[in-house]
Amino acid sequence: MNPSTKDPAAPQARPTLEVPAQRELARLCVQTGLLLMQHGAESALVESVVRRLGVALGADSVEVAIMANAITVTLLCGSKSTTTVRRNEDRGINMHMVTEVQRAMLRVEGGELDLAGYRARIEELRPLRYPRWLLSVMIGLSCASFAALAGGDLPSCGLVLLSSSVAMYVRLLLASFHFNPLVTFFVAAFVATSISVQGVLHQIGGTPKIAMASCVLLLVPGFPLINAVSDMVKGYVNTGLSRATMATLLAASTCAGIMLSMRIWNVWGWL
Amino acid sequence: MNLLIDLLRDMALASVPAVGFALVFHVPARVLKYCALGGAFGHGLRFLLLKTDMPIEWATLIAAGVVSFWGVWCAQRLRAHPKVFTVASMIPMIPGVPFFTTLLALIEIQHRGYSPELLATAVASGIKTLFIVTSLAVGLALPGLLLYRRTPVV
Repeated sequence: MNPSTKDPAAPQARPTLEVPAQRELARLCVQTGLLLMQHGAESALVESVVRRLGVALGADSVEVAIMANAITVTLLCGSKSTTTVRRNEDRGINMHMVTEVQRAMLRVEGGELDLAGYRARIEELRPLRYPRWLLSVMIGLSCASFAALAGGDLPSCGLVLLSSSVAMYVRLLLASFHFNPLVTFFVAAFVATSISVQGVLHQIGGTPKIAMASCVLLLVPGFPLINAVSDMVKGYVNTGLSRATMATLLAASTCAGIMLSMRIWNVWGWL
Repeated sequence: MNLLIDLLRDMALASVPAVGFALVFHVPARVLKYCALGGAFGHGLRFLLLKTDMPIEWATLIAAGVVSFWGVWCAQRLRAHPKVFTVASMIPMIPGVPFFTTLLALIEIQHRGYSPELLATAVASGIKTLFIVTSLAVGLALPGLLLYRRTPVV
């Protein structure tokens, strides 16, 4: 196409992508959106990153439809459009992946990466995983801090440290065997409560009930809850509702684990 | 003086779960200090606001909003979305105990049968959870709602 033959009043002419290049770009865009969704980014971020990436790499416009467990991307280039859908399966929250995908997109926008460079960058990304023992100890300390904030004394906090660390280790171990998160949370809540109940049975510390309440706080689905409300505030009501439902189910599963443990040990720590 | 010591204790204790949960969310190691600062600052601010007899949902909204504005400022230097570290900073303020209390009270209604006390516990804790979580999320969204209406933050 020769730009000089075009109407000079027309907006600046951009070369239209050929169909194979358009398909390639659509695949990259949907792959980007999928990576963000799988690792716990909120819907507004997914949509904006995919849109900006597609436009930066030559599409006229990019339309993104995000569903609870799928993503659709349509690329418009001149008179042609390409649509592609991917199924989303949750891979667990990983902010390292979200950061790296967004940084790659920013480098494309800044002109540092072209399509091939971006694809290479995305394909070499591997999610950061912290070691299991470190997560267990830190979560134990976190729940102990919650107990201290709620007014627990030192022996109770120590009990929480132990029970939450063990529960977190069990949770991560079960997750590594690809158990459904509902099962994982149920078992972890049972383990945590069964250990902290010993504080009531053997009079460890003066605040055993605070220990029982704090030791299961590692199972509060905080990220999905905040994402749920954020999505709904920004107009993505369907993904928001689905996140809120999943968070409530996880909490219900946790409560079932707590209840089972309290019945077996015949101790009432809550209510 | 006592208030200052209580405040420092509150901030120190809040920074631990912020970092602990940031690890679970696999926040990159270099960003963890922002999670700790945000967690300590947010929870500390809410602690002070609660001392002035402000209702907890308003105190939470203000604390989350302030942390979020600070998060936008940091995010533009880090070239990463602020949610990457501000959500972990909100974790100490998540109403976990009321959330579980709601569901446990409902399970107890099924087990023991209906009683006004159990239903009152369930409804009161449930509404408290809903309001605090909404305050946290709306507080985090404040920069986007007020300043960055049509432009992305990063």
